Amino acid sequence: MSTDSQLKELALHDITVRFGGLTALDSVSLRVAPGRIVGVIGPNGAGKTTLFNVICGFVQPTSGSLTLDGSPWRPRPHHLSRLGIARTLQGVGQFSGMTVLENVMVGARHRHAESEALAALDRCGVARYADAHPGALPYAIRKRIELARALVAKPRILMLDEPAGGLDADEIAWLGALIKETGTTVLLVEHHMDLVMSVCDEILVLDFGKSIALGSPAEISANPKVTEAYLGAAA
Amino acid sequence: MTGRTAAKHEAETAGTAQAPVPDAGPVLPKRRRRVHPVIVIAAGAVLVVALTYMLPPFRNYQLATVGAYFCVTAGLTVLTGLNGQLSLGHGALMATGAYTLALTQNRWENLPLSFAMAVLVTTVVGAVIGLAAARLRGPYLAGLTLAVAIVVPSVTSTFDETFNSDQGLSVFLNPPPEQYPIEQWQAWLCWGAALVVVLLLALLVRGRFGRDLRAVRDDETAAKLAGINIARTQVLAFVVSAVCAGVSGALFAYLAQSVSPGAFPLTLSLFLVMAIVIGGLGSLFGALWGALLLVVLPALSQSVGEQTGSQRLEGNLALIVFGVVLVVVMLAAPGGLASIPSRMSRLIRRNR
Repeated sequence: MSTDSQLKELALHDITVRFGGLTALDSVSLRVAPGRIVGVIGPNGAGKTTLFNVICGFVQPTSGSLTLDGSPWRPRPHHLSRLGIARTLQGVGQFSGMTVLENVMVGARHRHAESEALAALDRCGVARYADAHPGALPYAIRKRIELARALVAKPRILMLDEPAGGLDADEIAWLGALIKETGTTVLLVEHHMDLVMSVCDEILVLDFGKSIALGSPAEISANPKVTEAYLGAAA
Repeated sequence: MTGRTAAKHEAETAGTAQAPVPDAGPVLPKRRRRVHPVIVIAAGAVLVVALTYMLPPFRNYQLATVGAYFCVTAGLTVLTGLNGQLSLGHGALMATGAYTLALTQNRWENLPLSFAMAVLVTTVVGAVIGLAAARLRGPYLAGLTLAVAIVVPSVTSTFDETFNSDQGLSVFLNPPPEQYPIEQWQAWLCWGAALVVVLLLALLVRGRFGRDLRAVRDDETAAKLAGINIARTQVLAFVVSAVCAGVSGALFAYLAQSVSPGAFPLTLSLFLVMAIVIGGLGSLFGALWGALLLVVLPALSQSVGEQTGSQRLEGNLALIVFGVVLVVVMLAAPGGLASIPSRMSRLIRRNR
């Protein structure tokens, strides 16, 4: 009960984002209930990362609103971690001039940063790289370091932007298990369909900025509109 | 797509993928424990005091100058090396500190008060420039600070009643206690200030603030997501760095017993940047090397110029020497002089 009350409910109401003539998001609504794992999928350019950027305050919506725990909310990027929201970046945004351990310590917003960071690295199986510099490491390792940096903040809402990119089958299986066991709310943008289908409680499908389907993995995989968006209109 | 598969292949060949936690069994990192800054600074203090008893007066004066330069190079290397803000205007901030010391000292004749005022005024000036600087990146920031470097000296001729234009001001100082030669006293004061400044910087930089500085330098988006307020971090870094420059300028005013705009030309600002690059960007030891070079190289080139008897060479040789040293060091040790010990030990370990 006490952990439940710490979780936050995040909701997007009719979010529209226009970049000049391009409508990146077209009146998208989504309610992310506490503790749920919500996937956001769609073809390239569907607006998945823009949706994340709206939630993080990097992009201001042209219209629409966000609420956090029911109250109106205007996100600011550097306030997120204080609110218990952590996000990984698609293109591994790492601090190249710092060691792996320091990279993760930056994400730790409390005392005992070093031991917490080591524990997070260990959880992601990359503690042995603590003293290395991330730039020299393979992409998959850097992805896992990025994940450790998000986890070290002990977030209530974990936003993962293509965390499986560059990971092999074993690593993806491990990632799926990790996402499920975090017990936090998770928002997941991912192209790897097996992972999305196996971990998510709910999936939002975007296509050209429009929300075309929202439902359980079973509903989504049976939805003809989703197949159409991915494979093109049936001839 | 090909990049991804290549990375995947790399990860596999590194033998890191084993479900469920790929690469289990944590090898706890062997981290070299850094010596606490207080110990290093205390050792430095002992060394400096010992040196002042061994060196002849003129060398003591030069030693004092190194200490004064150390303040500004240490602050600048934190700003530029750790926070990624390039300032070409630190000479002007030194001038601000120097003039503040001169004006306060001539009015109240209280040296601690004068230094406190120098710190206060450069804090304010640093905050103003820092606020503007936090909105600018790369070449635009360099441009802004360059403008500061050019404008501040000319303020002295605009308000010539206060600043006495190009002649500058002389600084009234009480003589030091008679039992000590003045140069030794100067060395103590300059190094006392330098070591306090550097100790504070070292303590500040080794914890969370230091990590925030470097995170902002490396990736602003990721830093924001980690909860760092980018603008506040940058302004703070600028203020800290400006105060160091202010203390340094005040020390120079004290050493020369005068201030004039000619003592803080644009070339000084450029020399400062070169010095920290040669020393090793972001390293406080590098800042010490830089400060040493700022005193030694001009002195060397001056004596060479005197020996060749060329008047023309005398003025420009320092610039040439500095440029050559910069190129040589960058070729031989891109991390600067301060990186040489770790490079050496890595080489030795590899060859063993």
